[in-house]
Amino acid sequence: MNEQGIRALVVDDEFGIREGCRRILTEEGFQVTTASDGLEALEIFEKEPHYSFALVDLLMPRLGGLELIKRLRAMEPDLLLIIITAHATIDTAVEGTKQGAYSYIPKPFTPEELLLTIRNGLERQALALEAKRLREEREKRLLEVASERSKSGTILRCITDGLVVINLEKLVVLRNNAAARIFPTAVKQNVPFSITELEYPKIEELIDEVLGGDPGPRIVSRELAMGKNTYMVNLSPVIEPSGETSGAVAVFRDITELKKLETAKSMFVSMVAHELKNPLAATEGWLNLLLSGLVEHDPKEERHMIERSYLRVKTLRTLVSELLSITAIETGNFQLHRSTVEVAGIVREAVEAARERAVGKGIALTLNELLPEKEKTALADREALLLVFSNLIDNAIKYTPERGTVTIQVSQNGMYVSVSVKDDGVGMKPEELDRIFDEFYRVKNEYTSDIPGTGLGLSLAKRLVELHQGQICADSTPGKGSIFKVGIPRS
Amino acid sequence: MTKIRASIVLVDDDHDFLEMNSGILEARGYRVSCFTDVDQAWQSMEAETPDLVITDLMMKSLDSGFSLAKKIKFDPRFTDIPVVIVTAAASKRGFDFNPRSQEELEVMRADAFFDKPVSPELLIAKVEELLA
Repeated sequence: MNEQGIRALVVDDEFGIREGCRRILTEEGFQVTTASDGLEALEIFEKEPHYSFALVDLLMPRLGGLELIKRLRAMEPDLLLIIITAHATIDTAVEGTKQGAYSYIPKPFTPEELLLTIRNGLERQALALEAKRLREEREKRLLEVASERSKSGTILRCITDGLVVINLEKLVVLRNNAAARIFPTAVKQNVPFSITELEYPKIEELIDEVLGGDPGPRIVSRELAMGKNTYMVNLSPVIEPSGETSGAVAVFRDITELKKLETAKSMFVSMVAHELKNPLAATEGWLNLLLSGLVEHDPKEERHMIERSYLRVKTLRTLVSELLSITAIETGNFQLHRSTVEVAGIVREAVEAARERAVGKGIALTLNELLPEKEKTALADREALLLVFSNLIDNAIKYTPERGTVTIQVSQNGMYVSVSVKDDGVGMKPEELDRIFDEFYRVKNEYTSDIPGTGLGLSLAKRLVELHQGQICADSTPGKGSIFKVGIPRS
Repeated sequence: MTKIRASIVLVDDDHDFLEMNSGILEARGYRVSCFTDVDQAWQSMEAETPDLVITDLMMKSLDSGFSLAKKIKFDPRFTDIPVVIVTAAASKRGFDFNPRSQEELEVMRADAFFDKPVSPELLIAKVEELLA
């Protein structure tokens, strides 16, 4: 054993023993410190606890050897402690070993006796330290394994998908919290429990399908309705490292919301198809009638049919444009080209564009600008706003009988530039008013049946206004008229 | 020539179809009353029984046309009046209304079913057949 640099503490009140031990040990290469009593030894040790062993006399003033051994042992469990005792009180020495001393050397002793005892002790200490290191390492690994297991457990618990593991005996051997929510009857059951306790026979069928696959176990994916919810269930065999199948794992993903979206989407598609078909069918009908020659040849009649067809085709084109805009907004592909715009100017443009139609119906179209000069700008998309205001003004003209009035007002309302379009037209019932911003909703009554429209204009207007962080609302009284108000944030 | 003077009730919330179909029928000498609303059509029928009814399917509600047809067939006063359904709603909301057989037509309480637009020849042929 290489003793170079091993640190030793010699504690004895007898100067001769102290010095004798120091010399012997120093000669052997140990680094030796001495103390003349227990208290001194403690002080030395507290200052610098890096000693491999200590030789301790039992009978010393102030603090005796037994007490010192106890304290040193408490401070440093690995310290090798050897008792040196002059009075050969074997009983006391035995007591000392009970306190944690390795051995004792009765005085007087030869240097060989001393060194032999120390070397044996150090060897044993080394073995004990190695054993301790190995033990600690193993414990650390065990701790890691345990925490790994609890980590997997925690992960399984936290997964939002339901997870059920079933063995070949059709016993549920594992299920997470989400699965317990899907199968309420299984909440109280402790694993393992029979698959029948899930009270969902379809699962058993699917497990059979997974395990009884030909040529071997296979992955099965199904959409299953359970109560109000729909789940995508993915089942796969559990294959051991040996290659043997030991069961199946089923993962339940709640796709209820997705299904709802899917239904909404296909409903939207069929509504679009219907809205496209109606004007197309009308146009086709008119053209067919023109070509059939069934109706008496009359240029005025024929021109009327062409005009009706033209109107429907135009509506169709608008419908497609509006659909494209709405789709672009929905998918986030609609880019607002914002610049500082004068809102009143855009309203004026929309009013002038509608002037001819209003005049044609004898409708008085009035624009009131009540906006202070410096408050009239907004950071907005000019084209989008023009579309919004044109839509509202066109609607007002459409749904106002001949010789009615449509009044547009631009004013300031707090942080907003407010634009209102008021008519004294046919108006709407409250239940109709509730739905006017819905896609394809059109108020249907005797008066409106003749009015072409896509049912998308207001829906698009609302989306465009909202893209500007603005507001749009409507109020109406049947037979009295309607008012639409748009607020666009001022710049 | 009594058949030529037959009166027809036409119900459709689309102005174009009312106009073109009434034009076709009037050109053949029928008397046509146009309605955009099922209830108004019903009121007029109570005042004067028509010889034939042609109705759109989806007006205010999804099955306006069906309910009108049913109402007509279950009313002893009108039960013999032929009902023709003309619709563009063949596939709205995933429903396929197109009857595939005579039985399906009977379930609809309709005597004929057309997808819009119906050609003038077909419409007249069917009306004449039903009124014969």
